[in-house]
Amino acid sequence: MSKKRLYLILGCVLVAYVLLAIAPVFAQDLTEAEYRPFPKIGSRNAAWIAAQLHLLFGSFILGVPMFAVIIEFIGWKTKDMRYDRMAQEFIKLCMGAFSTTALLGGVLVFILIWCYPKVMSKLSGIFGPTMIFYVILFFGETFTLYLYSYGWDKMQGRHKGWHLFLGVLLNVFGTAIMFVSNSWLSYQTSPATQYGILSEGRRKSWIEEKLAADPSLTPETAMEGVTSHTMVPLHNETTGEFMGTLWDAVNNFTWMPVNIHRLVGNIAFGGSIVAAYAAFRFLVAKTKEDKAHYDWMGYTGNFIALCGLIPLPFLGYWLGREIYMFNNTMGINMMGSLFSWLFILQAVMIGVLFIGANYYLWAGMGRISGAEIYARYRPYMITIIVICVAIWMTPRTLSKISSASELSAMGGANHPHLGLFGLMTAKNTAVNIIILTTFLSFLFYRRSGKTPTASWGKVGNIAISSIFFLATVSIVVIGIVGFTVPTDLRVNVLTPYQVLVALAVMAVVTVVDIFMYRKATTSGTIQWGEMTDRSQYVLILIAITFTSLMGLMGYARSGLREAWHIFGVMQDTSADAFTPLLSEAVNMVAVIMVAFFALVGFIFWLGLWGEKKKQASTDAAEAAITAEGDD
Amino acid sequence: MSRNTLIKIASLILMVVSFIAYIAGASAFPIASENLLPWSVWFLISVIINIVLWSNVMKLLTFSLAVIWFYAFVAGLVPESSTAVNLTSLDWSDPDAVAEQGALVFNGKGQCSACHTVDTSAPKGRCPDLTDIGLNAASRVPGMDVRTYLIESLYEPANYLVTGYGKIMPEVWKAPIALSKLEIQAVIAYLESLGGEIDPTDFEEPIDRADTAVAAAALPPLLTGDPELGKKVFVTAACNACHVVQGVESPAAGETSADFEVVTAPDLSEIAAFNDMRYLEESVLLPSVQIVSGYGAVTVRANGITYQGTLVSQDTEQIVVRTKTADGVEEEHTILLSDLDEEPIEELSNLQAKGYFTLTLTPTDASASVTGEIVSETEETVTLKINGEDKTFSKIDVKSQLTVVTFDGDEIVGEHISGTIDDDEIVLNVDGSEVVIDTFDVEEVTFTRASGKKLLVTSPMPENFPLLLSVSDMTNLLSFLSTLTGATAEATPAEVEDASAE
Repeated sequence: MSKKRLYLILGCVLVAYVLLAIAPVFAQDLTEAEYRPFPKIGSRNAAWIAAQLHLLFGSFILGVPMFAVIIEFIGWKTKDMRYDRMAQEFIKLCMGAFSTTALLGGVLVFILIWCYPKVMSKLSGIFGPTMIFYVILFFGETFTLYLYSYGWDKMQGRHKGWHLFLGVLLNVFGTAIMFVSNSWLSYQTSPATQYGILSEGRRKSWIEEKLAADPSLTPETAMEGVTSHTMVPLHNETTGEFMGTLWDAVNNFTWMPVNIHRLVGNIAFGGSIVAAYAAFRFLVAKTKEDKAHYDWMGYTGNFIALCGLIPLPFLGYWLGREIYMFNNTMGINMMGSLFSWLFILQAVMIGVLFIGANYYLWAGMGRISGAEIYARYRPYMITIIVICVAIWMTPRTLSKISSASELSAMGGANHPHLGLFGLMTAKNTAVNIIILTTFLSFLFYRRSGKTPTASWGKVGNIAISSIFFLATVSIVVIGIVGFTVPTDLRVNVLTPYQVLVALAVMAVVTVVDIFMYRKATTSGTIQWGEMTDRSQYVLILIAITFTSLMGLMGYARSGLREAWHIFGVMQDTSADAFTPLLSEAVNMVAVIMVAFFALVGFIFWLGLWGEKKKQASTDAAEAAITAEGDD
Repeated sequence: MSRNTLIKIASLILMVVSFIAYIAGASAFPIASENLLPWSVWFLISVIINIVLWSNVMKLLTFSLAVIWFYAFVAGLVPESSTAVNLTSLDWSDPDAVAEQGALVFNGKGQCSACHTVDTSAPKGRCPDLTDIGLNAASRVPGMDVRTYLIESLYEPANYLVTGYGKIMPEVWKAPIALSKLEIQAVIAYLESLGGEIDPTDFEEPIDRADTAVAAAALPPLLTGDPELGKKVFVTAACNACHVVQGVESPAAGETSADFEVVTAPDLSEIAAFNDMRYLEESVLLPSVQIVSGYGAVTVRANGITYQGTLVSQDTEQIVVRTKTADGVEEEHTILLSDLDEEPIEELSNLQAKGYFTLTLTPTDASASVTGEIVSETEETVTLKINGEDKTFSKIDVKSQLTVVTFDGDEIVGEHISGTIDDDEIVLNVDGSEVVIDTFDVEEVTFTRASGKKLLVTSPMPENFPLLLSVSDMTNLLSFLSTLTGATAEATPAEVEDASAE
């Protein structure tokens, strides 16, 4: 890395720090101005673009180190330097994106402070201490990343353990940063509206409020009957003033579900972007070695993405449940009203992801000799996946957002027979079966070209087949029972059972399979680099779909607040106090996608350029040495 | 530059331009003032040309752009309406335009369409269908015109509930929906336009926004109870006999942990997480005001059989009742509402509050009885829906049936003409002939003014529950309940030890 680039990164960090540090003061001076317009595109669009781009880059730089450190660890333990090199390559990609993330964060803060001073004043008033903490964590992450990346070659051998420790530390900082910033946005969606203990910290504002409401009181009489157990609402019902502790605000309803959802989402997203990068390099590779390397890298990236993708529907379900718990109306709006269509589009995208991921695995089996025996299962598997995706896409509650003529064109709010599949119990069943089918694809891939030598191989296969069969039957039966029980039982008991069945199958079968194939004979190794170009396009498709999905769900999460900056507490009185149409939102997401991939492409190109320059100078030096030798 | 290169560059430019134009919603590509093809088609054409002509990198870019466009295109196909409404004034010179604005609020910011339908063919929503509400509202509450009813319904939705629907509508003028007066006026105009006439006159809000806000500020709920003591009250008052709270000893849960279906009352482990203090207070002090779906107690009689148990579910045609035998065997019975037996009614007062939903009576000026669904009632009248029409009957001018049981065991039933048990004789009209009965022989007399089908759902909680507790116990109990947010409810080490000891 050049000094110039280092200074650029440090400069961005400093800008971000200064903006964060002055945020409360700046906003305080401007409390009179609720909103300031952003020229040309408007405040909301400006904040939207900056926030989404920052989030996408942030997600990438948080997700990649997670699996990079695991791959590095595998390389260290197996003494296979290929893994180490790949992990290093991942971190190089991350380094390029890091400064852009910081820069976009700075831009976002600037836009928010400029366009929404009152909102920022309110948020910084509540979350001030966490913002300082955020800056400290940011410094920690920045310098750990530098040490981790630049120390890679120097910390080999006996220092490898320390290097891995740096990697873990980097992830700790990154995760903590995300948790902190998630508290701000999750508070906006689900502010702590319930009651809390009247602690010392809020006693003063409590007394002031009582005295203001009833002038006949004195500070002493206002506190009569108030004990250490006294419960007070966390927001003043009139002014919306937050009276809780910082922890009350941080630990709101959706904070932890958003944290975990994003944590796993980052891994999946990071994996998919790495796979897309590898696909690009594969397509432009000139040598067989390069093709083989990027084929392997693409496979690994896709595998990581798949590992993250599988639990995501479950985590999304948890987040949705917490939203319902926080506010029933918000929950209804989410999937049963205003955003119904969005979730149908989401199903289309997730369907594309699963079909794409399965296709890639099947295509990958083409480069393994001996994998042909599994080809006969593909038509059945694709049929199952397509049917399940169709069920997942079945609309149900469109009557709330459709006109009479549209309903009449559809033949009613719900199809007389297929409408049944629009219910969550059918959709959950479909999702679980898709996940199990995808897992089966992976299992076939893993087994391709191998023959188990374990004496109990046949029994093992029968056991695995039986587990799959019984699990599928159980999931379907639970799904059917789900139609007949009250919602609370379905949500709280049956759906978790379905999820547990799917997870248990994956865990048990993986263990059995590992033991079965431990000393397996190999009929053919993987011919890395022998993948079709089409499969590489699938990797690109997965990355773009993932990115679009993140943008779409970002719109859903923010849109659920409707005309509120902080739901139920601070109203949005700007000209943008409405939820944009899905088509408008997706157009905006499309613009952001183009900007994101253009930026990512530019950063990767910069990396390639640097690499080429380095290679050219090395070649020149080698040529010079050879020439000198010849002389 | 070769022709091939020119075509490639032109195609690339067309792709970028058509993508931008599509996203920006530009009108179709104009040629000689005629719209030739929409931008989406131009985009697709350019994508195909690019994929055919260009090699790796540009092909990849084309593919990426096509995928991004595809999702935007799919979203563009979705029929939807905007929630953007910015009402600063209403132009009453054009009432239809006001109603249109109201429809926007109805479907957007007001979130009314999340629960209400305006289509009789649509499946039953969470709240009543509002087709022709501009006409029907006049017959909802006797003496209340359309406008008054609609105003009441929007500002104080819990005042009059349509039979079969729960108290779930929020007060839309309060946060988070927080409609302004102008927005509510527009919604009312829209609702009036549904089968009725739009009334452009102004009205006074039945609430005082400023006063309500001040009152809320002056009287923030203050609970001084001790949650730990409240936890003990939860056990000593036997709340845990039916309710489960994680971390609290529960005989009900202990008995039935293997079978989730037999929990007799809602799990309260996260009750404060999604309910406010007012709801908790109301649930403890007036348990039958709002009953959690699936936990109401009912006693119904159908085809001569009495079912006593829990109302599992209910729709417009049937109910499902779960009963439990003395042996603890549970059974679910699906009962058609039409199969419920008619029960005699002695007093024609508070019929709906008593759970009656149909009524059979004989007006004094009629020879035959009439039967209909109860729509509404006042002290003097009751309105029935008979063959789709609402008809109002006097509660006083109703022929009474009298059942006289003599000491000999005879039961004589007839239309009451004169006399009571305190008189010397009672005169009845039995099948057209007058029957005079000497009260000296009469053991029991029962007046029946009408009969009706009844479905009364009550809370299984004892009605006198509040009286069983002292004020301090009640405060402690409420404090304890308010801590049950689930997210923060963690067992203390001592509780864990207790649990493991058990």
